[in-house]
Amino acid sequence: MSDIQLPAAGLAEDVLRIYGQEKKELQIVAFSLGEEYGVPIGQVLEIVRVGDITMVPNSPPYVEGVINLRGRVLPVMNLRKRLNLAPGEIKKASRVIVTEIGSKVIGILVDGVSHVIKVPCMFVEAAPEEVMEVDTDFIQGVAKLRGRLIILLDLEKLLRGKAVSTDQGVAAE
Amino acid sequence: MEYGSLLRDFIDDAEGHLSTFDDALLTLERQGHDTEIVLGALGTLHTLKGNAGMMGFESLQNYLHLLEDILKKVNDGDLPMGLIMGALMDSANVLRSALQGLGRDPVVIPDLTDNILALQRGVSREGGNDERPNIDPAAYLGAKTDTIRVDFKKFDDLLGLVGELLIFKTRLNQLELEIRAAVNNKPLIKELHEGIGLMGRTVAGLQEGIMRARMLPVRHVFNKFRRMVRDLAESQGKGIQLVCEGEDTEIDKTVIDELEEPLLHIIRNAIDHGLEAPGERIGKGKSRQGMIRLSAAQESNYVVIRVGDDGRGIDIDKVRETALRQGLLKAGDSAGREEILSLIFSPGFTTKKEVSDISGRGIGLDVVSRNVARLNGQISVDSSPERGTEMILKLPLSLAIIPALMTEVDGKVYAVPMSAVEESVKVRDEDIHIINNHEVIRFREKLMPVVRLDEYYGLNRARRDRLYLVILGKGEKRLALAVDRLRGQQEIVIKPLDDTFGKPFGVAGASLMGDGTIVLIVDVMEFWNSSEVMRPVKSRHPYSV
Repeated sequence: MSDIQLPAAGLAEDVLRIYGQEKKELQIVAFSLGEEYGVPIGQVLEIVRVGDITMVPNSPPYVEGVINLRGRVLPVMNLRKRLNLAPGEIKKASRVIVTEIGSKVIGILVDGVSHVIKVPCMFVEAAPEEVMEVDTDFIQGVAKLRGRLIILLDLEKLLRGKAVSTDQGVAAE
Repeated sequence: MEYGSLLRDFIDDAEGHLSTFDDALLTLERQGHDTEIVLGALGTLHTLKGNAGMMGFESLQNYLHLLEDILKKVNDGDLPMGLIMGALMDSANVLRSALQGLGRDPVVIPDLTDNILALQRGVSREGGNDERPNIDPAAYLGAKTDTIRVDFKKFDDLLGLVGELLIFKTRLNQLELEIRAAVNNKPLIKELHEGIGLMGRTVAGLQEGIMRARMLPVRHVFNKFRRMVRDLAESQGKGIQLVCEGEDTEIDKTVIDELEEPLLHIIRNAIDHGLEAPGERIGKGKSRQGMIRLSAAQESNYVVIRVGDDGRGIDIDKVRETALRQGLLKAGDSAGREEILSLIFSPGFTTKKEVSDISGRGIGLDVVSRNVARLNGQISVDSSPERGTEMILKLPLSLAIIPALMTEVDGKVYAVPMSAVEESVKVRDEDIHIINNHEVIRFREKLMPVVRLDEYYGLNRARRDRLYLVILGKGEKRLALAVDRLRGQQEIVIKPLDDTFGKPFGVAGASLMGDGTIVLIVDVMEFWNSSEVMRPVKSRHPYSV
């Protein structure tokens, strides 16, 4: 298993081309929101720096706004808010991960993107309920690597707009 | 000449169908009988038959009808495919020759009587292939056409590029101003100015050209209704004449596509509820045949489509009654005639007790209204008892690029589509009063509700002495949208707003500016439909602040 340093902004296809694809492993893009999270590389189109985000009135609270990506208006979801984590700020290291699920293309705002990681499937387990800050509905599993725990997110469910439940009760959607 | 272009369209279309038919036959010959393929061929022939009927080519219609029967028998197992394949192939050639003949000599209506006999013989069990005509290779070439079929997506791509050009042009204009201030070289600046002007005019020409290429005459939609009107009239025992005017008027294909359903609902309504049975009409001293008039005309940046009938007209009292019952109107409200009439577009509104498939449910007009709004258009209705009803649809010529009024609220810019704007005016905050918890303002002797855009968008509300009102009009209704500043008019390219997270209230879409910033487009229709906003207000109440 190898760690690959991801450039600050770039296309997922290029990374894939360089490092190839193998089947018994999951290739995930790891990013940080305090804890480490990951999404399958197949769903990631590119990663961009955070520029101007235009706020859209009357949107759900976890929608940060829209951005202009080469002439296309893209919605950006604040993943911290969506997962009901402690609020954060947009910093220099923050990034927008442009994801594609089915026909939908959505941007996800995160604190920082670190690696593309190949995780052998046998290191992925179901999430232990008690430990998670986040509603396990959105979690596909956890990857346990060398003292690291990467929480694998189910983007499709996140985008479907179900209410997020936390210890404090159900947060309005 | 109208007939000429109609014929051209017919031939183009028919060539396409014939090609599909040929392919089907070849596949069947290769692979043997396949129900699905035969069904597909039947559909193709059916459409072709319908078109031939519309053109008045009866003989051609009959020939195609015979072909349809034959294929149906094949699918039913009454006729073995292998036996008649030859005859079927010949029939395709016959059709091709007929089209060629039309292309050469548009005046001569094809007569296929002999071919019909030959086909019947060709597929009868006793007959055989003894009547094979000579093969003329040139016949396979088909008629030459002046038109080509283009995948519509290519136009979208081209229009997208033009949109980008417009954005850059706006940027160049800004740059020109900045350079003018920074550089002191008059001749150079003059050249720059002229160059930008020239480029601007060329881009405008390009945009117009592409938009025109995407446009089709309204006839394409109107024609679809001829059969429907005739069939419905017959099934209801009513005599109805459909009159079409302005069929050459051209509209963007996307708008035409979206028009079909609303027009369908409206026409059905007119036939089902508006037009009376012949007996009733004669009793009223009207002509025995009722009339439906479809007309299209271009008025500046819009296309106005009218659907009128000379039937009963809308019963205003019934509408008022239903509106009261459904809570759309309160007992004491004094609403004008036009206002009451426009209530028929409200969700769920229906005066009919029974339901008659599409039109009777009361969903029809509400959906129509929303569809028209989605196209940045407007719909209104006019009606007189016993004189008839007319629905008026006003649509922008294009979906992609619209003129908009740029407004500013809480430091952010929002675009209001010009199609909804009547005028704008600067007012003082103290001119806005509160009646029944609604803000209103007196403008030109009438009271108008005031909607503060910053409030509707949950933005910071800065109380200013002076503000601007953008007066939005719909029929007789008026609404004033309050904003901080106006920033002029410009053409904007509409980009759809992703709806993964739901549609944000009050936001219709987005547009990109010359410097890459995103400006959101105000959804005017939602203000009209929001019942808190649009309750009619009386003009003699004492003010309360």
